[in-house]
Amino acid sequence: MKEKILQTLTDLRKYALGKGYDVAIFYHEEDSYLMRFANSAISLNTNEHLIRINITAYEGRKRADYELITDLSKLDEMKRSVDTAAEMVKHAQPLNYDPTVPALAESFADENGYDPQLAGISNEERLDYFNKAAKGLETEDIKLSGIFSNGSNTVAHINTRSEHTQNFRTSDAQVTAVLSNSQLKWEVIAEQSAQKKSDLDPSGLHREFVFLLGRYQKDEALQLPLGSYDIVFGFAATADLLSVMNWIGFSGGSMKRGFSFIAEDQVGKKVFSDKFTLIDDPTRLETFPFKRDLTGIVRNPFPIFENGVFRSFIWFQDDADEFGAAPTGHNVPHKSLVLNGGDKAVGSIEELVKQPREKDILYIPFLHYMNIVNPSKGVITASSRFGALLLRKDGSLAVPYNVRITQSLLDLFGDKVAWMSKAQVVNNTSMSYGARNPTAVIVPRFVKVDDIEISHSNSSY
Amino acid sequence: MLKDIKKQIERLKSQGATYVDARWYPFEEANYLMMWNGNLKNTSAARESGMGVRVLYKGAWGFSASSDLSDTPALFDKALDNGRVAAERVTFPVRLAEKDAIQASFESPCRINPFEVALADKVAFLKEMDEKLNQPGVFQRISEMMFMRKQIVFVDSEGSEIEKTITEVFPTIQVTGVDSEGVTFERKSRPGQQGESRGWESVDRGLFSENAVRIVKELNEVLAADECPKEDRSVILLPGIMYLQTHETIGHALELDRILGYELAYAGGSFVTLNDFGTLRYGSPKLTARADATLTNSPGSFGYDDDGVPAQDNLLIDKGILVGAINGRQMVEEANARARKQIFHGSSGANRATSFYRVPIERMTNINIDPGADGTLDDIVSKTEKGIILDGDRSWSIGSNREQFHFATEIGWLVDDGKVGKVVKNSTYKGETLKFYNSLSAVGDKSTWKVQYVDNCGKGQPNQVMQLGHGIPVCRFDNVRIGE
Repeated sequence: MKEKILQTLTDLRKYALGKGYDVAIFYHEEDSYLMRFANSAISLNTNEHLIRINITAYEGRKRADYELITDLSKLDEMKRSVDTAAEMVKHAQPLNYDPTVPALAESFADENGYDPQLAGISNEERLDYFNKAAKGLETEDIKLSGIFSNGSNTVAHINTRSEHTQNFRTSDAQVTAVLSNSQLKWEVIAEQSAQKKSDLDPSGLHREFVFLLGRYQKDEALQLPLGSYDIVFGFAATADLLSVMNWIGFSGGSMKRGFSFIAEDQVGKKVFSDKFTLIDDPTRLETFPFKRDLTGIVRNPFPIFENGVFRSFIWFQDDADEFGAAPTGHNVPHKSLVLNGGDKAVGSIEELVKQPREKDILYIPFLHYMNIVNPSKGVITASSRFGALLLRKDGSLAVPYNVRITQSLLDLFGDKVAWMSKAQVVNNTSMSYGARNPTAVIVPRFVKVDDIEISHSNSSY
Repeated sequence: MLKDIKKQIERLKSQGATYVDARWYPFEEANYLMMWNGNLKNTSAARESGMGVRVLYKGAWGFSASSDLSDTPALFDKALDNGRVAAERVTFPVRLAEKDAIQASFESPCRINPFEVALADKVAFLKEMDEKLNQPGVFQRISEMMFMRKQIVFVDSEGSEIEKTITEVFPTIQVTGVDSEGVTFERKSRPGQQGESRGWESVDRGLFSENAVRIVKELNEVLAADECPKEDRSVILLPGIMYLQTHETIGHALELDRILGYELAYAGGSFVTLNDFGTLRYGSPKLTARADATLTNSPGSFGYDDDGVPAQDNLLIDKGILVGAINGRQMVEEANARARKQIFHGSSGANRATSFYRVPIERMTNINIDPGADGTLDDIVSKTEKGIILDGDRSWSIGSNREQFHFATEIGWLVDDGKVGKVVKNSTYKGETLKFYNSLSAVGDKSTWKVQYVDNCGKGQPNQVMQLGHGIPVCRFDNVRIGE
């Protein structure tokens, strides 16, 4: 298959060269499967196989894109899309800077992230996983929801400036399971990300559910008083905060356009807690990495924050072209963000609960519907969801209704950080809008932040 | 192709499928142009075609989609296979609400197909807007246009055969500026319904020019403004923010799949329960909301939904009382069975998919609020003792059951003793949904009512983006917390 894909790209390149076009040609193929559960039933069982060809045409300072959903047997249709992009670019308007046309220096192929067993997992196996994750836990009132999403995708490209190609193939699985009480409306979550089939372990989800259900079924929920709390964020909440930072923090283009809370002159300065070290690390296979970017730049571990000191903005090729910066190898569908673990030996929710504490601690595993209130100040707002717990200083537990926080990332990851757990978790942050793009970040299992204000507290679920 | 589709549907029925439908997209095309600070950063187009097949087998859904239609039997077989496995875990077997078999066609109103307009003309429009936005105080200026056009052929095992051609145009202009403390603010204009059709002709240069001048002026006012106070005031929401309030806390809250728990693992649930229909006081008696897919010109009007059910105009909230939901064929029987009474009498025609490779789910049509009897904006302001007028969506975040929310707006004008006062920046408000709508104290008349479009409503797994509309008047709510 790889040979057929690369041959198709080579044929399209030859066609473009014959017509005198200057183009970059991208190929994306996905084989996607998703089993969705709701109300303890399979509410949807779906699959799709899609091939996308994207052509970027250049003409001096002008640029245009054309994308087509097609299949490999339709070479003529693909050629017409090359013509369409070339026609579009004629009518585009010149940029006021010189866009770099990618020219690959050598061919590169990476299929290390592809596990045929994970890609080929069957309907029956998906169902079996969920049955095991929820075994014995569903009742008349407690219902299972979630997804088992898995598949494979191939990204390949070529351009008219060079005959070299790049080809990446990955398999992935994202599992989200939720148990919810249809009467009381509480809900608890357990998740797993897999890069290979042997990563899949429904027993881990089952263990977490057993613990959480023990609390939620037993304890009456309470409305928390407004005020400041010491909060332990779970891995999904931390990953969500990082994804916002990815957007309004360390992107050079966002900074130049006024959508960042980090200023240009803060490179080399302390921005966050000295416990905060964030790296874009394409050596971590669990993040479905790209070891070259789509302009051919070799991607090595790229420190963004080291012990709270901001090391570098990342520069996409186009932003680098526009603002006169050097590209940093980030023309990739996703980065491979790794937030280093700390020194706290807490690896599970059970261990967290057993930790001695001098004050009440609010555990928030998940932040729902996060949005950016003020990008220049890094202010976000979101609500807790999926199994928050109040760990009382006397060692007991309580189940709080959801709360809202409206805070700056500068506070959440600044000097208020008390500790980060040594244990890290791979959190699958893939979305399925558009082309399949398996994405995961590696974050500490828990991050404790002191003195964070709760701006709203629900009186029910 | 039609003949083959029908043949495959019959074949699957003979193999035990109780319902089959196919949505064949001969084409779907999109065109996106974006000019940023004078640079045409994005000139992109896309085209796709393919088919999605949905099969009901022993009360469970199987779905399969492909762009490769060289082997349609295999595509139908895969959908049936997916349904067979899904049938191993069924708690309430899907039974579709009754509908008539329909042979029909629908074309959204469009005089000038935007895909036949020369790219140069589109770029000229963006350039013209960019020049108008290039004024003192403006740091970044963005002009963008998105065009969509698709043909959908729907065939089902109940004898329906519907062909739809839908055209959409979504233009936006936006400016940002930086205040003396280095904080970025934005102001944008996204005109909604203009005239009777939504082709290229709906892009009104004059209107855009007026709005370009207005948003630059308002941005500069925000840049020089004081902070929004942190206190309780009446909030007067203009359609530019009231549409989103309605979308998030009426629209999504009343999607029947959310109410029944079908979105609990992702988008969330709803604070509304089945017992609430006919009894819950959702808002003050001034609140009447409806799902109206019959508006002549809005992305929430599509003729027939992806169940093949005709467009309808249904009340959701009648003088403050919850009376209806947004639903397709699937949820009706389950909801009635769970409630042990008949709440719903059929599909409300609101099941839609974003593309051929996604399955239809409950989606908003045009979720509108009826104009009220409290006069013009000036009338409402004149009767407001201590308030703030808010406009423009800057940020929005809603609780997972749509029970509470936090919105940040682009601009606020304080109102004291019936008079509009100074502009404030960082104008936010928050509240609890039911308490908020029950504090609705004034609803503007028809002169304040505007249809605003939403081009990026996300929901479902696999994820789907949908386009729709909201017809909204100016609304005033009392005792709302602002500035936090």
